[in-house]
Amino acid sequence: MTPGHFWTQLRRESRGGRARLAFFALCLAVGVAAVVAVAGFSASLRTGLRTEAKRLLAADLKVEGRRPIPEPVFERLAAEPDAAVTRVAELITVVVAPASGRSQVVELKAVTGDFPFYGELLLEPARPLAELVAGSGAVAAPELLDRLGLAVGDPLSVGGRTFELRAVVRSEPDRLGTAFALGPRLFVAGEDLAATGLAEQGSRVEWRALVRLPEGSGDARVEALAAALRAALPDPAYYRVETSVQGQPELRRGLDRTERFLGVVALLSLLVGGIGVAQTVRTWMAARLDSIAVWKALGGTPRELALLYLGQTVLLALAGSAIGVAAGLAIERSLPALLAGLLPDLPASAPRWGAAGRGLALGVGVALVFALGPLVAALRVPAARVLRRDVEPLPLGRALAALLGLATFAGVAAFATLQAKSAAHGALFAAGLALTALALALGARLLVALARRAPRLALPLPLRHGLAALGRPGSASIAAIVALGLGTLVVVGMRTIEQGLSDRLRADLPTDAPTTFLIDIQPSQWPGVRAEIERAGATRVDSVPVVMARLAAIDGRPVRELAERQATGGARDERRWALTREQRLTYLERLPEDNEIVAGRLWGDPELAEVSIEEEFARDLGIQLGARLVFDVQGVPVELAVTSIRKVRWESFGINFFLVVEPGVLERAPQMRIAAVRVPAGAERELQDRLAASYPNVTLFAIRDVLEKVAAVLDRIGVGVRFLGGFTAAAGIAILAGAIAAGAALRGREVALVKSLGMTRGGVAALFATEYALAGLLAGAIGAAGGTALAAAVLERGMDIPWRAAPAIPLVAVAGAALLAIAAGLAASLRPLAARPLDSLRAETG
Amino acid sequence: MTPPALELRRLTKRLPSGDRLLTILDAVDLVVPRGEFVAILGPSGSGKSTLLGLAAGLDRPSEGEVRIDGRAIHDLSEDALARLRRGRIGFVFQSFQLLPNLTALENVLLPLELAGGREPLGRARAMLADVGLAEREHHYPVQLSGGEQQRVALARAFAPEPALLFADEPTGNLDGATGARVLETLTALRARTGTTLVLVTHDPSVAALADRRVHLRDGRIERIETASAARELPLALDPAPA
Repeated sequence: MTPGHFWTQLRRESRGGRARLAFFALCLAVGVAAVVAVAGFSASLRTGLRTEAKRLLAADLKVEGRRPIPEPVFERLAAEPDAAVTRVAELITVVVAPASGRSQVVELKAVTGDFPFYGELLLEPARPLAELVAGSGAVAAPELLDRLGLAVGDPLSVGGRTFELRAVVRSEPDRLGTAFALGPRLFVAGEDLAATGLAEQGSRVEWRALVRLPEGSGDARVEALAAALRAALPDPAYYRVETSVQGQPELRRGLDRTERFLGVVALLSLLVGGIGVAQTVRTWMAARLDSIAVWKALGGTPRELALLYLGQTVLLALAGSAIGVAAGLAIERSLPALLAGLLPDLPASAPRWGAAGRGLALGVGVALVFALGPLVAALRVPAARVLRRDVEPLPLGRALAALLGLATFAGVAAFATLQAKSAAHGALFAAGLALTALALALGARLLVALARRAPRLALPLPLRHGLAALGRPGSASIAAIVALGLGTLVVVGMRTIEQGLSDRLRADLPTDAPTTFLIDIQPSQWPGVRAEIERAGATRVDSVPVVMARLAAIDGRPVRELAERQATGGARDERRWALTREQRLTYLERLPEDNEIVAGRLWGDPELAEVSIEEEFARDLGIQLGARLVFDVQGVPVELAVTSIRKVRWESFGINFFLVVEPGVLERAPQMRIAAVRVPAGAERELQDRLAASYPNVTLFAIRDVLEKVAAVLDRIGVGVRFLGGFTAAAGIAILAGAIAAGAALRGREVALVKSLGMTRGGVAALFATEYALAGLLAGAIGAAGGTALAAAVLERGMDIPWRAAPAIPLVAVAGAALLAIAAGLAASLRPLAARPLDSLRAETG
Repeated sequence: MTPPALELRRLTKRLPSGDRLLTILDAVDLVVPRGEFVAILGPSGSGKSTLLGLAAGLDRPSEGEVRIDGRAIHDLSEDALARLRRGRIGFVFQSFQLLPNLTALENVLLPLELAGGREPLGRARAMLADVGLAEREHHYPVQLSGGEQQRVALARAFAPEPALLFADEPTGNLDGATGARVLETLTALRARTGTTLVLVTHDPSVAALADRRVHLRDGRIERIETASAARELPLALDPAPA
């Protein structure tokens, strides 16, 4: 056959059965739309988070340490094309108001250069920071003005040098997460800090170099520069290089889970589409058997026919996938509106051609993988069918059936790998699906065999004929049961995963989280402060003591030595930082609810001074149960034994510590208290005024805005998850109903025959309903079991969410599968039921 | 020496029926010289259509040989059989077997396009005109009467000028007058092309037009009749007893 002839035949073959072909395309369109939209959604979220991370860092990258940033770092930065650098120094110091003589601890930030590179520093009056602080100017947080009774224009004294207060800080981009700040913010110029001499007096200064790279610099450049800076650091144990690529952990965890869920949704949607395609191709080819036989009789070779129908499949798949890509891109474009105001600077999505191409390839691939079996089976119809209509396609043979099975398995594993970005997960998913398909096929065979052997004569007529129809030779029951069962698996699996994730998102919603943190409370002040908090209507008050300390040795080896070894060994910054940072210890009899012991026992050894350590922090320090840690608690060495390791649910926003010490060890050490309280909206201001009057050293930080934002993001994600889950389930049900209906429509001749023998329409409907109900119940039961197993695996392994049995979902699914099969089967039989038997019989023979 | 158009030797077909094998055709021998018109007659279940399917390479024998133009076809691959049928073998069926998604013209075009002949469109149009359906070339099968459909089928079968034509009850689905007109068209086309014709029929009046009549019963040749005394010598190598 010449290419021109091939195209002509392809075009002619596409005539007739347009509805069926459109359904084929629709099946794929739904799946591909889900893949493209989810890819776009994930990419938008990632970009949004990256923007947020830059804002929180106020830069693309920062180098920070407890020692001045060494010159080689700045030399390296100077060599970086178009990189902008700002030097920042932060320290805790005391500010005095000369007029009143009142003083306040502040977090002083001295800036040389542009600040911030990302995000917004809201000042009042709104003028550039550099201009406001130049020439001994200062800019302060409103808490400082309240505390010291200052106003813009007043003088204030820092380190014996007088500054003029020129503006108020309303919002600072990189201060969102600082619930544990030690005092209100005060900005001065870098050179003025140098003039005070504060930085040279042994103060604990945190030095920072903020770096901005030109717009459009990719992650690779940011990470490459970070690596170069790490290499340029002469004493890396004392510095940390952080990039915006690392992002913000609190939100990222929830979003990671959502992204994984969406990936699974997209894959399952595509598979539902594939099952729809397989069923459509099966029924479409069943209707083409006569034509294929005529083709063969006229000299069309099996190879030409295979090419013709494969070509048609590819064209249809391309059309369906293109519709899916367009729909997916349209959904993606509407995302910024859906998430408006929740994720700052969520990019308006430009069409993602990569995702579109992937969607097209996946759609065509899925169509080919799922159509191959039915196509090959149909093409084995002997040409002799032109003489005898009851000649059916030759059986596939074991080797060919195994080859087709293997090809389908490999295809599904490849799609799953692409979606999950993990070959192991892809193979596991395909294996689970194959096992369920096998169980379905075996169950269906068993049902068909039972139907064949069951003593039917004593049964009521519809049940007898229903069983007979299921068991008749050449019945399509097995294929239909496998398709419906896999569809049930997808719907049950998805609904269960969605419910697990929604429950978890709801549990993560910080509805009872603290809205305000209070710090720097002297232990003697706590009863009075607590009374004030309760007067403000607090519904939750948590307070713990805090002791500042430094880690001196682990298992007898000095920390300095360990840090240097880690630096030369190329360990991550977090590890070195964990060793050298200032540690905050608390002591507690019982752990907060959001802590869970994962190894060891809490306070179980009366002979030891014990410490409980958070698991990731333990990993960073490289220590295990039984390790001995020596802390330098303001000059006094304290040895503690690690007797338990904890998992902490940080997203609860409660007060949590990496290190919790057994009561009875640190009570006499210098300490302060911090408190996390939940007060009604609007009560923070009054509480602050009261505390400022009675306890001026206590600083209050409201985090309600942050909380509300996180809650809104999680809530919106939950809505999205439920919507997508519901959409896919509905699409799956529609596709399956269509597939069943397509099969049932081929039974016109049978309907006509039993009607011609005197059966009423009601009787025929009851006969069909019995057959479809039996098939639906079996498919539903096996599919629901498979779907539940799939959901449990995805939740437990993929999302770290414990699976809880929810029997309502599989039970509803089994009943639903039976009802769906009956409804779709009967709906498709309506036309032959209504037609006169002779018309159907004539149409069949003619 | 020119080989015969069709040669069947010990042709046997068995099909499984429950636990045993049912013999549909039992060691049939038949030789059909070029240009001959052979009618196969017999009651239902005698193996007429099976014989036709095996002879045309549409089905495979359980035993025995089929030769077309001296070439054994019973062990050819599906692709080779399909290529052999192109242009060399034509078919006419009782139920017409027109492709429902193709127009009358496209149905006639299909074997010409498969055979790769020159100017297939002109040839297809000419054939439709020959069977009196030039005006109906853009009609789909469902828009044609039974007789018209069978005439399109005849045009399709004769268009590639096959050396051998198999016809299975070509008038079986038609009323008497329509059947007669179809038969008239068939014989006229055969007379013009000299095509060898093997035709299965129940109808003695149709069979009467044949050069030889092969009567089948229970899968065996019962007897062979010739149209005239001059051609009384049976061409079957091993004719069944009359």
